[in-house]
Amino acid sequence: MKALVFIAALLACCAGFARADYQVGDHLAKPAKPSAHGAYQEIDWDALMPKDWDPIKELKATDLGMMRDGDPRANALLLKMQELWEKAPVEASLDGKRIRIPGFMVPLDEAKGKVSEFLLVPYFGACIHVPPPPANQIIHVVPDKPVAGHHMMDAVWVNGTLRTIRSQTRAGMGMASAGYRLEAQSIEPYKQK
Amino acid sequence: MDPSPSPLLQAENVSFRWAPRLAPTVELDRFTIAAQERVFLYGPSGSGKSTLLGIFGGVLVPQQGHVRILGTDLGSLGASRRDAFRVDHIGFIFQQFNLIPYLSVVENVLLPCRFSRRRRERAMQAGGNLEAQALRLLAQLDLGRALHARNVTQLSVGQQQRVAAARALIGRPELIIADEPTSSLDAGRQEGFLELLLAECASSGAALLFVSHDRRLAAHFTRQVAMDEVSRAAPALGEAA
Amino acid sequence: MNLLRLALRSAWNRRVTLALIVCAIALSVTMLLGVERARIAAREGFSQAVSGTDLVVGARTSPIQLVLYAVFHLGEATNNMLWKSEQQIAGDPAVAWAIPISLGDSHRGFPTVGTTPAFFEHFKYSLGAPLAFSAGRPFSGLFDTVLGADVASHLGYRLGDAITLTHGSGGIGSVEHADKPFTVVGILARTGTPVDRSVFVSLEAIEAIHLGWQGGAPPPGGFSIPEQFVRKFDLTPKTITAMLVGLRNRAAVFHVQRAINEFAGEPLMAVLPGVALDQLWQVVGVVEKSLLAVSALVVVVGIAGMAAAVLASLNERRRELSILRSVGAGPRHIVALLGIEALLVTGSGAALGVALLVALSALTGPWLESNYGLPINALGWSVDESLLLAAVVAAGFAAGVLPAYRACRLALADGLTPRL
Repeated sequence: MKALVFIAALLACCAGFARADYQVGDHLAKPAKPSAHGAYQEIDWDALMPKDWDPIKELKATDLGMMRDGDPRANALLLKMQELWEKAPVEASLDGKRIRIPGFMVPLDEAKGKVSEFLLVPYFGACIHVPPPPANQIIHVVPDKPVAGHHMMDAVWVNGTLRTIRSQTRAGMGMASAGYRLEAQSIEPYKQK
Repeated sequence: MDPSPSPLLQAENVSFRWAPRLAPTVELDRFTIAAQERVFLYGPSGSGKSTLLGIFGGVLVPQQGHVRILGTDLGSLGASRRDAFRVDHIGFIFQQFNLIPYLSVVENVLLPCRFSRRRRERAMQAGGNLEAQALRLLAQLDLGRALHARNVTQLSVGQQQRVAAARALIGRPELIIADEPTSSLDAGRQEGFLELLLAECASSGAALLFVSHDRRLAAHFTRQVAMDEVSRAAPALGEAA
Repeated sequence: MNLLRLALRSAWNRRVTLALIVCAIALSVTMLLGVERARIAAREGFSQAVSGTDLVVGARTSPIQLVLYAVFHLGEATNNMLWKSEQQIAGDPAVAWAIPISLGDSHRGFPTVGTTPAFFEHFKYSLGAPLAFSAGRPFSGLFDTVLGADVASHLGYRLGDAITLTHGSGGIGSVEHADKPFTVVGILARTGTPVDRSVFVSLEAIEAIHLGWQGGAPPPGGFSIPEQFVRKFDLTPKTITAMLVGLRNRAAVFHVQRAINEFAGEPLMAVLPGVALDQLWQVVGVVEKSLLAVSALVVVVGIAGMAAAVLASLNERRRELSILRSVGAGPRHIVALLGIEALLVTGSGAALGVALLVALSALTGPWLESNYGLPINALGWSVDESLLLAAVVAAGFAAGVLPAYRACRLALADGLTPRL
């Protein structure tokens, strides 16, 4: 009897270390209406894409029905779309804004159980087997102080100041244009409602 | 210490059985003990003496009847209040193994004072601290200072019984219940113990209910009762008291 | 005399039995906390080994295997990557720095790492700490070597000493590169990472000592190219084991990773070290949980032993308990007495267990750290450890108090004179 109670208590502790049930490709629920949260404006990932940027515009405009099977233009369009995906521009008006955004964490530097830098991506499993998100859907987050208690692919809320970075050099293998960087003042676990 | 008009202990229509399907061990119509009275209760083993003492002490609750001590009905008290009442007003001496082996002589004597504030205060009324009172009692029971340092298990049975008596008497409870306290002693020492006990009860003003199967000791007592006179459930004796 | 002192005296009376139980609980607590500590130390040791490295690149194997071999020098490499590919990747505008790594030789059991001076400039560990030298400087001459802190201290090397490398990991029958000794020109300060256990030489030096070697074996007949003529040959490496890459824009890591995975030149693989380690922990996690469960069961056994001892002692304590009842102790006092005793036993067992753990950590810590890279902090304490300890004490308390109810029932049934 006593043994059962003890084991139950121990298992309850272990349960605290279990991860939430996300599948690859899952996004976090969008807020019904982005609200202000103290000093931080809650935004969702769509806001990070400039309104006039539509990488699949050309694909949408093309009438695929008009092409023959195996038409090289169809593949060329896909490649062009991928290219545009990688050259994704940033929304310049967000530079310097204090925002709050939820996402999944990819730790870049970790020691002593604390993460000092990480990437924030919009969907689960962004590093496994799926094409990476476009440049304007990845945020390089640098917390003020290293944060503890987080693991790969944890869902978190990040509050901080967003900066848009213009890259000076050619892209090479990396992303062509600019990206987002967030100086984070606080990180909170994301709780599914 | 004027004797009060109402009896110290008053038991009426008491019936007790250990289990519902067993016959009653004790069936009592009426039994009283007056303040400062010395009663010799004679009963062979198996007559239900210990059970009766348990009832008088408030450890066992009879299925029927009332036991009143100093006017308070023991049955009306809750279990923990009964425990408190018991230590406040009654001191016990058993036949053997009276003492807690890992406590010293003085600590054994002072045990009731730990559980009863009333007895602690009454013990200190004579002046001085608790330990001094314990030592005084022990001295009066003929236990010299040299013995106090000894482990209780090193004392002889007679010495242990006298320590038990001191424990029962400290704080001047109104009633001392002694269950065969001399039965483990040598014949030569029994009288000596009894005399010491009676003297101390007199000086602290306590009533004494002395239970024994040895009728030779009855001579010291003004009132002698047989178990089968008290309880109908006790087996009848060959000769009347 | 209050209940606490009464319980203490009673426990002292039965000190031999109780001491044995305290030891049993202590050992089980040491095991439980020790397993937890080792687990955390392993994770710590691994995660702090590399910092600021965005990608580890090598031939296609499993990601865990690549990271374990390239960073921790554990296991074997299955295939090498071309130097040509390294040059191409290092020259890409997205890459801020690249450190090529060539493994395969050793020195007296310590792995040898062929690399470039970029290693000493760009390699960081444990949240951005750079490498520092406790003596000397990075290698510049062909046969210069830099030692990790533990290599120097274990083998007693100082600047200017000469060492020779062994081909392979140095088992029986390994061939020494005795004809080309190296000179120690630098010794690194301690990092608490696999760097401490490594011997660093230049990539050209690796080529030089293998001149004329075919298929992992030296030229036949004892022939070897003398040192002074070595530079007449082209010492550019053809293949390397792996490379560590740092990017200008860290957010571009996924894109660069995909580009390298689709590299046209040869089958390559780029791995985020954090992701690979996370996969490792998932695999290892099952073992960890089972170990923890076993340790918890051992604690339960210890506490069950205590409960058994308490129950057994109740019989011989019936007299004692009925005496206490006669002087006014109620059931709650008896429960309190037994509860205090249980708390004392479990508490001292836990405290002794912790003391044992600290002593063990202090004794084995340095050895574990230098041989396995496990940082054990003897005096460190975590919230989880406190929780575990609290759970143990609570379970012990419950195990001791539950017999108390039996004791009360016994005492009540006995009345004033137990049938002994």
